[in-house]
Amino acid sequence: MDKKTRWMFWIAGIIIFAIFPKLAGIYYSNIVVSMSVWALFAVSLNMLLGFTGLLSFGHAMYFGTGAYGAALALTHVNGLSFFSAMAAGCLCSVVLSLIVAPVVVRVSGTAFAMIHLAFAQCMFVLALKFRNITGGEDGIGGFSVSHIRIPGLFSLDVTDPAVFFYLSIGTVILNLLVLWFVIQTPFGQVMAGTRDNVKRIEYLGFRVSHTKAVVYVLAAGSAGVAGAVSAMHQNLVAVNDAYGMMVSVLPIMIVMVGGARSFFGPIYGAVFFGFLEEYVTAYTDKFELILGLILIIFIMYWPLGLAGIFLKLKFKWLTRKQFLKRSGGGAG
Amino acid sequence: MIKPKRYLAIAFCLSVLCFGIVQDASAIDVNASYDLSTLPDMSDFDPNLPLKPDGDTIKIAIISSFTGPGAVTGEAFYLYTSWAAHDINKRGGILVDGKKKKIELIKADNQSRPDVTKKITERMILKEKVDILWGTQMSHLTQIVSQLATRYKKIHVNATSVSDSLMEGKNYSKYSFMTSYSTQQIGRAAAYYYGQIRKKETKFYILCQDYVFGRSIADAFKEGLKEYYPEAELVGEDYHQVFLTDFAPYLTKVKASGAEVIFTGDWMPDAFNLLKQSRQMGIMLPFANIFINDPISLEELGIENGEGLVLISPAGTGNPIFKNQGFINYYKAWNNQWKTKFTPPYNTIRYSHIFGNPAMYAYSIYWTASVIERAKTLDPEKIISVWEGDSYQYPNGKTVSMRACDHKAVTDLHAIEFVKPEDQKQCFNIPPYYIYNTSAAGGPVFEIPSEKILPKADPQLCK
Amino acid sequence: MDPTTAMYIAQGMHGIAYGMVLFLLASGLTLILGMMGILNLAHTGFFMLAAYFGYQMVQWTGSYWAALAAAPLVTAVFGILMERFLLKKVHVYGPMAELILTMGVSLVILDGVKVIWGSQSLPLSPPESLQGLVNIFGMQYPAYRLFIIFLSLLVLFIMGVLLYKTRMGMIIRAAVSDAQMVDALGINVPVVFMLVFGIGTWMAGVAGVAIAPILTVSPGLASQMGMDAFIVIIVGGFGSLGGAFLVSLICGLLSSYGIQFLPQYSAVLIFIFMAVVLAVKPEGLFGEKT
Repeated sequence: MDKKTRWMFWIAGIIIFAIFPKLAGIYYSNIVVSMSVWALFAVSLNMLLGFTGLLSFGHAMYFGTGAYGAALALTHVNGLSFFSAMAAGCLCSVVLSLIVAPVVVRVSGTAFAMIHLAFAQCMFVLALKFRNITGGEDGIGGFSVSHIRIPGLFSLDVTDPAVFFYLSIGTVILNLLVLWFVIQTPFGQVMAGTRDNVKRIEYLGFRVSHTKAVVYVLAAGSAGVAGAVSAMHQNLVAVNDAYGMMVSVLPIMIVMVGGARSFFGPIYGAVFFGFLEEYVTAYTDKFELILGLILIIFIMYWPLGLAGIFLKLKFKWLTRKQFLKRSGGGAG
Repeated sequence: MIKPKRYLAIAFCLSVLCFGIVQDASAIDVNASYDLSTLPDMSDFDPNLPLKPDGDTIKIAIISSFTGPGAVTGEAFYLYTSWAAHDINKRGGILVDGKKKKIELIKADNQSRPDVTKKITERMILKEKVDILWGTQMSHLTQIVSQLATRYKKIHVNATSVSDSLMEGKNYSKYSFMTSYSTQQIGRAAAYYYGQIRKKETKFYILCQDYVFGRSIADAFKEGLKEYYPEAELVGEDYHQVFLTDFAPYLTKVKASGAEVIFTGDWMPDAFNLLKQSRQMGIMLPFANIFINDPISLEELGIENGEGLVLISPAGTGNPIFKNQGFINYYKAWNNQWKTKFTPPYNTIRYSHIFGNPAMYAYSIYWTASVIERAKTLDPEKIISVWEGDSYQYPNGKTVSMRACDHKAVTDLHAIEFVKPEDQKQCFNIPPYYIYNTSAAGGPVFEIPSEKILPKADPQLCK
Repeated sequence: MDPTTAMYIAQGMHGIAYGMVLFLLASGLTLILGMMGILNLAHTGFFMLAAYFGYQMVQWTGSYWAALAAAPLVTAVFGILMERFLLKKVHVYGPMAELILTMGVSLVILDGVKVIWGSQSLPLSPPESLQGLVNIFGMQYPAYRLFIIFLSLLVLFIMGVLLYKTRMGMIIRAAVSDAQMVDALGINVPVVFMLVFGIGTWMAGVAGVAIAPILTVSPGLASQMGMDAFIVIIVGGFGSLGGAFLVSLICGLLSSYGIQFLPQYSAVLIFIFMAVVLAVKPEGLFGEKT
C-alpha cells in the first residue's frame, strides 16, 4: 500500500466512524461499542498471551476492577465526567496489578494461568461478600455520568448513544495506539524475548521479572479502561459481568480465534464474536456449545487464527501479483 | 292488608338485604376476569411447534435465560406463556385500534448475563419492534429491562422477579408492572402463618443464600416474626454461598440449635440439595420455603421426606383447587394436551398441571392482554392508566389488583402444607384425587389475607 | 458424648468427607498435570459427565453399584478419546494451545449434556443399603458419607499400589521424569500417557458418581466443585498427589469449621489460605520450582 491509498483509507475510516451512529441507528452503534470494548480487553490480554507468553485465566479481575472502580467513583463523587471515571477505573486496576505482580511474575506457564483463575475467583467472592460496597449480585447501577463541558465552548451529553459511541470508540482507539507503540519500542522486543527465550534475555542483561511486571501492569490498566467503558455503557456493574468465569474465558477465545501472534488478531476476533453472538443467538440456544466447537476447530486447524488466515491470503495474493508482474515483464 | 309501617319495615329489610348482597358482590367484584364460560379448542397447542400468528400482531418478548444454569426457568416461562398466547389467539385475538390482533411471543435469551440482557432487550425493542417486554428472572437483570422500558417507553410486565427494590426509589419505572408477589410479602406471610394461624412451633432457624435476595427475604421473615409472632425465637441464622456443594456443616449447626422450623428462600438447585442432605442426615424438620415444589426432585426424596414442607405460594385459592366446572375444563384441556401432545422437554410430570406457581406465568399474560383489550390500544400511556388500580380474576378464581402508586400486585398469599398423595384430595378434588402420586404435594391450604401482608411501599411513591 | 462435642466431631467428619471427594477429583487432575504437563480444564466437565452417566445407568439398570462400576469407565473412554484425537494433535503448538483446547472441550461438555439430558436437575439416590444413619459412639452420622470416605481411601490405596508397587507404575513415573529416555528403552510412551489420562478421568468419574447422591445431577455440578479442585492443585503444588491430599483435607476442614465458627467469612477463608501459601511459595506447598 502506498502512502496515498493509506491516507485515503484513514480518511474513509474517519468518515464512516463519524456518520455511523446516524447511519446504523442506536442498536448497531451499541453493538459496535461493546465489540470495541471486547477488542481492547482482548488486546490487553494478548499483550500477556501473545507477546509475552503468559496466559491468564483470570484477566477478568482487571476488567471487573476497572468497571467497579468507575462505577463506584461515579456513585460516590458527584459530577464526575466520562474521562475521570475512566481514569478512576484504570487506576484501580493498576493498583490491584501492582499488589498482585510480585507474586505472579515469579511463575509462568500453567501456574501463571491457574493462579489467575484463583485470584479472579477470589475477587468474585470478595465482591459478593462486600455487598454494601459492590451491591452483590444486583451490582451498582443507575449512576449518572455528567456532561463533558468546556465552559463557553461546548457541552456533551454522554447519555446520548451517539456521543457515547464517539467517546468510547475514541478512548479504545487511543488506548490501542498506546499499546501498539509499546510493542514497536525496543521494550516490545524484550517482551517477545521473554516469550521465546528467557535464558537469552537474562544473559543479555534484561531482568525478566521486571519486564513481565511492566507488561502486566500495562495489560491490567488497559483491561481496566475496557471495564470502565463497559460499566458506563451498560450503566451497571454486577459481579457476574465483572468477575465471572466467562469474562475471563471469552477474551481468551477472542485472542485464539483472532490470532495471538498478531496485534490486530484480537480485534478481528472481537468483530467475529460480535457478529457470531448477534446472529447465532437469534437462531439457537446452544451458544456455548458453538463457542466451544469453534475454539476447538481453530486450535486444531488454524492455530494462528483469523490473522493467520488473512496473512496467508494476502501472501498468496501478493505472490500471485508479483508472479504476474514478473511474467508480464518477461513477455515485454 | 299491610300497614304502611310494615311496608317500611319490609322495604328496610329488603334494602339491607340488597345492600348486603351488593356489598358481598363488590367484595369479589373485579374490573375484568378470565372468561371460563367459552374455552377454545386447544388441541393444536404444541410448545415445541408454536403456531406463528399471521397478520399484524401484538409482540411480546419473553426475556429469560434459555441457556446456562437458568435455562430451566426459561423453559417453564415459555411453555406457560405460549399456552396463554395460544388460548387468546384461538379466541380471535384482541381488539386493538379497531383491529383484531393476535399475540406473538418472541424468545429473548439473556443467558443470565447483564450485558446480554441489555443487548437482547434493545434488539427486541429496536429490531423486533415488540410491544410488551415480559420477564425476567433475577432482580438485577429485571432492573435492566425495566430501565430500558423507561427509556424506550415500552410496557414491561414483571411476573417473575420478586425483589421489592425493583419498584422503589430511583428503580421505579412507571412502565413496569409487577404481577408477581414480592420478597417482603413472602417473608411476612411465612411469619403470619406460623404466628397467627398455626401457633405451634416457636424455634426458627433461617438458612438462606448469601446474596441480596436471600438476605432481604430473611429480613422480611424476621420483620414478620416481630409483627405477628413476638413469642417466636430465632435460634440461628446462616447465609450460605449460592451453588453450595456441602450443606452438612450448616445442617449440623441447625441440628444442635434445637430449631423446630427451617426458613429458607433458596431456589433450585440449592433448595433441593439442602432438603436432600438434611433428610440424609436424619433432620426431619419442616422447611418453610418458596421454591421447593418440583415434583421430580421431591419424588426422588420419597413421599415421607417431603411431608411437612410449607410452601408460601402466590397461586393458591384455598381448598379445593377446582371450584367450578369452567376451571375443571380449563385444567383438563391442559392436562390432556400434556398427556398426549407434549414432547421433550415438556412431557415430564413437572408440567402436568396448570395451577400452582408456574401457571402464574400464563395468568400474567391473560391479565396483560385483558388490560390491552380494555385500553383498546397499544399506546403505553393508555395501558398504564387502565392497569393502575385495576383488578383481575385469573382462571383459577384468584383475584389480584395492581396498586396504582408503585405498580405492585396486591393479592392474598397461601401457606400450603405438603402431604402424602392420599391426603391431597382436600386440595385436588377431581379424579385421580391427588396432585402427584409419587411425591408429597399440597394438602391443607391456609389463606394469608392481602391486607396483612401488603407489599412494601416506598413512602416517596405511596404517600 | 455430649452434644457439643458430637457437633464438633461431626463437623470434622463432614470436612473430611468433602475433602476426600475433592481429593478424588483433584488427584486425577494433578496426576494428568504432573505426568503429562497438561492442565485438563475439561476435568470437571468429565466429573459432571460421569454423574450424568451414573444417572443414566441407574435409569437403565436400577442399581447404583452398576453405575459406580460402569460410569467412571465410560467417562475414562471419553477422556482417552479426547487425548488421542484432540490433545495429541495440538501438542505441537505447545502447552498453551493444549490448555485452551481443554477449555473448549469443557464448554462443549457443559452445553452438550443439556442437549442430551435437558437443563433440569436429575435425581440420583444413594443405594438402599447406604441410606440412613450409622451410630458412632453415640453420634449419628449418615452412612453414605462414611461410604464416601472409605471409597476415596480405597481409590487412594489402589493408586498408591499402582504407582509405587507395580512395573507399570514404575514406567509411568519414569516416563514423567524423562519421557525420551523411557521411549528409547523401547516402551511405548504415548500408550503410557493414554493410560495416565484414562486413569485420571476415571478418578474424576468415581468422584462424580460418588457425589451425585448428595447433590443433584445438573449442569451446574462442574462449577460447584471445579473451582475448589483447581485451588487444591494450585495450593498443593502441580503434580503432587500428597499435596493434593493434604490441601483437600485442609479445604474440607476449613470449610466445615469455618461455617461453624466464622460463618460470615467461611467462603473467603480458603482464599486467604491460598493467598498466604502463594505469597510464600508461588509454586504451591509441594510444587517443584519451574
